[in-house]
Order: sequence, then C-alpha cells, then structure tokens
Amino acid sequence: MIKYILAALILGCTTGYLNNNFFAAVPNSVISDQLFTVALIALLFVFGFSFALDKEAVAKMRKIGVRIITFPLLVALGSLVGGLVAGLFLHLNLAATAAVSSGYGWYTLSGPMMGQMLGTQWGTLGFTANFFRELFTLTLIPLMVKVDKLAPIASGGGTTMDTTLGVIVRYCGKDTLIVAFSNGLILSIIAPFATVALASLV
Amino acid sequence: MFNPFTLVYLVVPLVAGILLGYLFKDKKLPKLDKLSLAVIVVLIFSLGFGIGSNNELLASLPQVGFQALVIATLAILFSIAFIKMGKKLERTR
Repeated sequence: MIKYILAALILGCTTGYLNNNFFAAVPNSVISDQLFTVALIALLFVFGFSFALDKEAVAKMRKIGVRIITFPLLVALGSLVGGLVAGLFLHLNLAATAAVSSGYGWYTLSGPMMGQMLGTQWGTLGFTANFFRELFTLTLIPLMVKVDKLAPIASGGGTTMDTTLGVIVRYCGKDTLIVAFSNGLILSIIAPFATVALASLV
Repeated sequence: MFNPFTLVYLVVPLVAGILLGYLFKDKKLPKLDKLSLAVIVVLIFSLGFGIGSNNELLASLPQVGFQALVIATLAILFSIAFIKMGKKLERTR
C-alpha cells in the first residue's frame, strides 16, 4: 500500500515539476486543482459508501461517543505544546512557532496567513512546516499505526478530512472513517482562529 | 479563512456515500478495495503535482527546511503523546 502512495507522490512531484518548468502540457491547475477536487469528492463518496456497507465498522463507530470532540482538542493541545518546544529548541519566537504548528498540517492556510501577519519568512515556514506534517503522515503511516491505532489521525491533524483520509482509513480500519473526518473538520475550523490568536501575541 | 464552501463539497459526497451504502447494506456487492486504492493514488498524484509545480515551495526548502522539520516533527510527536495520555486517563477513570 505505502509503495503505491510513495510512487504516486514521487511521480506527481516529478510530472508537476517538468510540466511547470519545461513542457507546460497542461495548465498546472487542471491537475493540482480540478483533478484533485474530483478525486477528493470520489474518495469521500467511495469511502462513505464502503463504510456504510461494513456492519462491523458501523457497530465499532457507535462506541466513540464524546471522544469525537475530545480527540481533536487533544491534537490541538499537542500541536500547541509541540510548537512551543520547537520554538525553545530553535531559539525562535514561541508564539510564532506555536502559530505555525497550529496550522495542523493545513499549509495552504498557514502559509498565507503567517505571511500576512508576520512577513514572508514566517509565511514560508508556516507553509513548509505544515506541508511536512502532511507529508510525514502519508509516508510514515505504517510506522505510526504500530505506535497506536489512532496515531496517524493525530499526526494528520486538519488534513484527515481530505488529503490523508483515504490512506488513514486503509491503514487504521474502516471504523476510523468518521473519527478521522470529524477530527480533520474540527481542526480545520480551529486552525484559522488559533493561528491568528497566537500570531497576534508575537 | 475557513471557506464554508469547502464544507459543502466535502460533506455532501461523504453523506451521500454513507446513505447510499446504507441502502445497499444487505446486498452482496463486490469489494471496493481496488477502487478506493485507485482513488487514493489519483488524489496523491495530484497532490504531488501541486508540490512539484510550486517553484516557490521548492526554492524555500533549503532555507527553512530544518526549522520546518523540527516544528512538524514535534507537533506530530506531541499530538500522538496527548491522544495516548487521553486514552490512559479514560482507562483509569
């Protein structure tokens, strides 16, 4: 499974690079926006469908209860602490590094927002750090799932409702679909507020 | 800012899939594993394409790469640690 993901990622990066810099065979947005959106919609539909078909998954899901809210809150708190510790380690402004880590992997949000509030350098860091969070979730998922069944969902942060959802459900089980989706949803709603609040403390 | 439109186009297909799956739950259907893998591959490919075609991102990697790596890694590690602690607290209660 992971080899397909890595192959698709590497092939995608290479074709994207070549298309952008040499061939210009298609406008970039056709693949990175339109195809991406179509694939995402298809993915959500297919995973929703196969989740509902799986009686065991539905039964397991019912036991989640209040954890559906507490889980993303713990992830938000963990990201905040992680950002503070990173700031200490790197000798950077703690509020700023915490604002970066409170993008929860949503780099298209964190990059522009940090850039607007704290300047280009922080914008670049916000973009790259959150991009790494998504990348590591996708590539290290076989390791993470050994630590804890739900570790990849914590790692994926706000991306678990879209880009990392499919991979997570394949690795963690069909019963994790709703937890993963709502985790990503709740963190994506918190992310802009947390980023602005922390960045304004700088 | 959070775009409400995103919500609509993500939640609608998910809910439609679940409802339709629920209607078919007693029917014998072929496994969807191959289809779901294919969809993941297309999604990850287009994600990679967006990264590879972003020269700005590629150029900034050497400058901020290390700092980004540290922030991402610690955010991931502490997030996992916190959900594990949450599980433990729940068990001891």
